[in-house]
Amino acid sequence: MTVTTSVIQVQVNGKPVECPEGQNLTALLTTLDTPLQATAVALNDDIVARSDWNGTLLNTGDRIALFQAIAGG
Amino acid sequence: MVLSDQAFMRYNRQIMLPEIGEHGQLLLGKAQVLLVGAGGLGSAAALYLAGAGVGNIIIADDDEVDSSNLQRQVIYRDIHQGQRKAQVAAEQLKALNPHIRVRAVQARLADQRLAMEVAIADVVLDCSDNLETRHAVNRACLEANKVLISGAAIRWQGQLMAFDFRHGHGPCYHCLFPWQPESPQEPQNCSNAGIAGPVVGMMGMLEALEAIKLITGAGEVAFGALQQFDGLTLGWHRFNLAQDTQCPVCGTGE
Repeated sequence: MTVTTSVIQVQVNGKPVECPEGQNLTALLTTLDTPLQATAVALNDDIVARSDWNGTLLNTGDRIALFQAIAGG
Repeated sequence: MVLSDQAFMRYNRQIMLPEIGEHGQLLLGKAQVLLVGAGGLGSAAALYLAGAGVGNIIIADDDEVDSSNLQRQVIYRDIHQGQRKAQVAAEQLKALNPHIRVRAVQARLADQRLAMEVAIADVVLDCSDNLETRHAVNRACLEANKVLISGAAIRWQGQLMAFDFRHGHGPCYHCLFPWQPESPQEPQNCSNAGIAGPVVGMMGMLEALEAIKLITGAGEVAFGALQQFDGLTLGWHRFNLAQDTQCPVCGTGE
């Protein structure tokens, strides 16, 4: 029996990105190859705490925003 | 206590606002605001707080005025180059409004001194330019149950956040931007990435606005949100903050 995983489309900082259905936020961020230190991640405008990244599963159409801490002042 | 005729005239244009009124003006006069940093954010925030008649302003910075500051740090004049920022800023604020008390702290606030200054403030404005200070200010405000209003800017981007620690819990700055002191990565700042002057000024002004609202009870301070501003499009984006239950600063994490 073949298990097929369907692919869903999400948006990362406004750009379309494909990922497997049911992928969690940590897995997606790992594929992006972007530094995560001092970075906040929002899912559909709600900041997701780092300890919740693993448990946050992505759905089609989700909007993910990554942004860095700004220190300047 | 009532306002003097002189104060009534001076602050008339904001006393006219029903959300402030004479009562709000009296509250401003009694308030003590700590500004951590006297750069682009602190310049703008401090001038507006002094103008509004905030009775006690403490402004802290360990730096001296450099010619490259004058593009955006609007509290300074050309002749101030080489002089101590906190001292000059305090003098400028007193020149704008001699009816308030201003105290200069010529130091990068940290540890005991930071804790002491936070403890005696009613509200703290983070106008600093580095992550280490931002995290230290966050921790000190949480420990002292003080409201923290935090602004930041780089290039064309601004960020504004407010944290209500009056009941001793988060979310806090660390929930949003976890950071370890041993990390070699200091994020970009104005000296290494550039900054559009009006963007940092606007963030400083909004910090002052939130402080005035907090002190007078006008409207609602935007707690629990990070507001991101893009100076190239004038677009705003609001993100909702939630406490990280595993946060080592305000939660139960290690």
